[in-house]
Amino acid sequence: MIVAERKSMDELLETLSGYRKVLVLGCGSCVTVCLTGGEKQAEELAGLLNLAAKSKGLDLTADFASITRQCDREFFADIPEDKKLSDYDAVLSLACGVGVGFMSEQFPEVTVLPGLNTTFYGANTADGIWAEYCHGCGDCVLAWTGGVCPIARCSKSLINGSCGGTDKGKCEVDKDMDCAWLVIYKRLESLGRLEDLRKLRPPRNWSTDRGKGVRRLTHAEMVASEQENE
Amino acid sequence: MLKSDLTSRDLAGMKSSADIVEIEWAPCREACPAHADVRRYIERIAEGDWLGAIDVIRANLPFAAVCGRICHHPCEQNCRRQDVDQQVAIRELKRFVAEYQGAVGATVNKAPKQDKARVAIVGAGPAGMSAALELAKLGYQPTVFEKASVAGGMPALTIPRYRLPLDVTKIDTDWICAHGVEVVTGVEIGEDKTIAQLKDEGFAAVLVATGLAKSRALPLPGSDAKGVYGVIDFLYSINFGPTPEIGENVLVIGGGNVAIDAARSAVRLGAKTVTASCLENEEEMPAWEWEQEEAREEGVQIVYRRGPLEVVTDGDKIIGVKARKVTRVFDADGRFSPEYDDNDVIEIPCDTVIFAIGQGPDMGFVEGSDLKVDERGRMSYKPETCETNADGVFACGEIVTPPGSVVEATASGRRAATALDQYISGKPIELTEAKCDLISDIPSDVAETVIKVERVTIPTDAADVRKKGFTEFEHTLDMANVVVEARRCMSCGGGVEVIVDKCAACMTCLRVCPFDIPVVTDVARISSDKCQACGLCMSECPANAIVPRSHSQDKLDTQIAAALAGEAAKKTLAFIGGFCRPAAEWRGEVEAIDGVAEVYLTSTSRLNVAAILKALQCGAEKVVVVCCPEGADRYPTVADRTKKHVEQVRELISQIGLSPECVQLLEVGDKDRSVIAEAIKDAITGNSE
Repeated sequence: MIVAERKSMDELLETLSGYRKVLVLGCGSCVTVCLTGGEKQAEELAGLLNLAAKSKGLDLTADFASITRQCDREFFADIPEDKKLSDYDAVLSLACGVGVGFMSEQFPEVTVLPGLNTTFYGANTADGIWAEYCHGCGDCVLAWTGGVCPIARCSKSLINGSCGGTDKGKCEVDKDMDCAWLVIYKRLESLGRLEDLRKLRPPRNWSTDRGKGVRRLTHAEMVASEQENE
Repeated sequence: MLKSDLTSRDLAGMKSSADIVEIEWAPCREACPAHADVRRYIERIAEGDWLGAIDVIRANLPFAAVCGRICHHPCEQNCRRQDVDQQVAIRELKRFVAEYQGAVGATVNKAPKQDKARVAIVGAGPAGMSAALELAKLGYQPTVFEKASVAGGMPALTIPRYRLPLDVTKIDTDWICAHGVEVVTGVEIGEDKTIAQLKDEGFAAVLVATGLAKSRALPLPGSDAKGVYGVIDFLYSINFGPTPEIGENVLVIGGGNVAIDAARSAVRLGAKTVTASCLENEEEMPAWEWEQEEAREEGVQIVYRRGPLEVVTDGDKIIGVKARKVTRVFDADGRFSPEYDDNDVIEIPCDTVIFAIGQGPDMGFVEGSDLKVDERGRMSYKPETCETNADGVFACGEIVTPPGSVVEATASGRRAATALDQYISGKPIELTEAKCDLISDIPSDVAETVIKVERVTIPTDAADVRKKGFTEFEHTLDMANVVVEARRCMSCGGGVEVIVDKCAACMTCLRVCPFDIPVVTDVARISSDKCQACGLCMSECPANAIVPRSHSQDKLDTQIAAALAGEAAKKTLAFIGGFCRPAAEWRGEVEAIDGVAEVYLTSTSRLNVAAILKALQCGAEKVVVVCCPEGADRYPTVADRTKKHVEQVRELISQIGLSPECVQLLEVGDKDRSVIAEAIKDAITGNSE
C-alpha cells in the first residue's frame, strides 16, 4: 500500500495562495487506509482551511469530496455534480503523487495541487502505525533475504550486507533503526537457510528501478486494439 | 445488516440515512400492537427532545398518555436489554413525555383541507377515536357519538382513577379532537338516533366501535340480590358516582385485570376484607402478575380454582357465595372448558359480590339498522376488510376483536380508518399490515460488553398509604431519571450501515469498536443484531463510509450552527455529553452560562474532529468539550476517544496559528450542572488570562 503524509499547513496555505475556491479531493484507496487522504481527512482539511482563511483574513473557501481512486479515469465521473471541477480555481488532491499526476493529465484545464507527500510502500504494523516494506525497485530479492527487503530497509540498499556502519544491531544512520542485514541474518538463521547468504550476489541492475526512466506495465491481452500503437 | 448492500447511490435517493432504520425493527416495536417506533422516541427522550419524542409516539399511538399509565407494555416484555440487566422502563418514559408535554405540547398534523365525506363513529373509546383521528388526518369529517358524558371509552369510564386519572385520558382525546374530530357525548346510537338516521343525515359511512361495555352476568341463584354488582357498573359508579354501597366483606368473582381493579377499588372504598375468587390457579390466572402482586400487597385475598354456584342470602342480606372445586380450566388443547368436583363445595363468607367474569357488547346500536346479529349475539363481520353485512357500516375494536388492550384497540381503529378511506374512495378494500425484518437476540458476548446500569425505580406509595384512596400511587419519574433511563436503551437495530462502495476495508471500525462487532470481509460488515449504535466507528471512518441508521450526523452540524447563530452570537460553544445527571437539567430548566452556547449529546462518541472544527468555523472562538470520565459515559472507551479528538484538533489548529487553548476538554460530564458550569467558566477565564 502507498503511504502518504499530509503536507504542513504552512506549505499548503502558501501553495493555495492566489486560489480563491478550492476542492479538497480525497482518494478512497491506499491513502484512506493509512488515514491520510480519505473523505474524512478531506472534510477535516477543508474545515481547517476555511478556519485558517477566516482567522487570517484570506480570500479562500474550501469544499471537499472524495472518489474511489484517483489513479483510474472512470472514477472521476463520481465527483459529485454539485462539486464541478470547473467551479473551482484548484483541486487540492489528497491522493498520492500518482493520483495528483494522473488527474492533472486527465484534466489539463484544471490545476491539481498535491495535499500530501507520498512517502513509501508500507504496511500497518500496529494500530495507527505504518512502516516501509518495499521500495518498488523492480527486481525483487526477497526470496533469498528471508522476506526482509534490503533495498527498502538498508540505508544503503546493499545487497551483500552488512556494511561497517552496523553497531550492536542498529544502523549508523539512526540508532533506533535496525540494521536490515542483521535482521536478514537472524531471519534466515531461524529459517535454517543461512546458506543463502554464502552466495555472492552480482551488482544490482538499477535499470528496473529508475534507471531507464518512466516504467510501464502492459498486459497485452487487455489492451484495446486501437490503443496498441500508442 | 441489510439484506442487500447499501451504496452511495441508494443513499442519494433517501431523505437521510435515518430512512434505513425502517428496514429492520427491534422487538419492542414488533411486539407493540400499534408498532410505535420505540427506539426512535426513546432516543429523542435520551436527547431531552420531549416534543420530538411525543410526536414520534403519537404518530402510531394516539392514546400515548393513557398507554403511558396502563399499557401492558409488550415492548418492555420484549426489550433486549433484559439480556444485559433489566428491560428499559419504556412505559414510564412514555408516561413522562406524554404528560409533560400535555395535549398542546404535541404537534397537530391537521389535514390542509378537511373537506372529504362525513363519517359517523359510534363509541369514543380508543378504537373509535383512533379511527376518527386517522380519518381527520386524511381530510374526512369524522363525528364520534358517545353515550357517556366523556370521550375516552373504558379507560375514562371504568379504569380506577388510582391507575388512570381522567385528566390523563383527556390529554389524548383533546389532542385527537384538535385534528378536527368532533365528539358528541350523551348520544346513544340505537336509542337516541339510529344508524339509518345517521346515513340519512349525510354520513357516508358508519364505524361501530362500541367495545365491550356490559358486564357479563351469571344466572346463579341469588345473583339478583341487593349487594351484587356487575363489574362495569361498579367501576363506573366509583368514577362518576354515586359511589356504590358495599359491605365489610367483598367478594369479587373473576381472575382478570378488571376483577383486580374491582378488588382494589373495594379495598379503597373501605371494605374490611376483599377476596377475589377465580377458576384458575395462580399460574393460569389471566390478570397481569404485577396487578396480582399489588393487590395482594393491599390485602386482597385470592381464592384459586373455585367456581361460584350460588349467592347465599339470609333475608335480603348476602351472607356468602357457595363455590365448588375446579378440577381443570382448560382442556388438553388449551380451550376454556372447566370441570368441577361437585363434592367439594365451600362457602366463602361475604356481604357484597362483584361479578367480574368478563364483558360483553351492548348491542343497542343494532336497533334501526340493517346489521345482522347471530344467535350468540355476534355481529356479522369480515375481519379482512372491517366490513359488516350492512353496506357502509364498518366495525373495529373489541366489539369484533377478542378482548384486548388499549394499544390493540388503537391499532384496530387505525386499520378500520384505512378500510373506510378505501371504501369511500371507491377502491377495493385491501388492508395490509406493515411488517419489517426483525433483529435477533443480542449475542451473549456482546451483552457482556454493554455497561450495566440499574433500571430506574418507579416511585410508588406503600400499600398501606395507597389503599386509603383513589389517588395515583405510582408517580411520574423525575426528569433526571427519565434521561438516565432513556440512555439505557441500546437502540437495537438503530446502529450504523456501511456504504459498500466507499469502504476501503481499512479496519479502522474494527479497531475502534468497543463491542468487537465489525468484521471486514470484502468490506466492513457491521451486524445490526450486535451493533450498540455508539457511532465510534462512524466518527473515525476515514472514508466517511459508515452512516447512522437512526441518528443523523447532519443534525449535529445543524445544532452547532443553530447554537451559534443569532444576533447575540455566543463566543463559546460547549458540547456537553454525559450519561448521568447534567442532562436532566437541560432544556431551559437551568440558568445559561454567560456567552456560552450549549449543545447536548447523549454521549461524546460521535463528536469527531470535523464537528469540533465546525464549531470554530461557525464562529465559536472557544470550544469546550465536556465528556464523562471512563465508565460514566453511555458507551465504553468514549472518554479516551474524545480526549484524542480534542488533542488532534488542538494540534491542527495550532498549525494554522490558532492557540490550542481555544479547545478545552473537561472530564466532568458525570457531575452536577453547577460543577459543570463552574468548570466551563474557569476554562473560559483561564483562556482569557
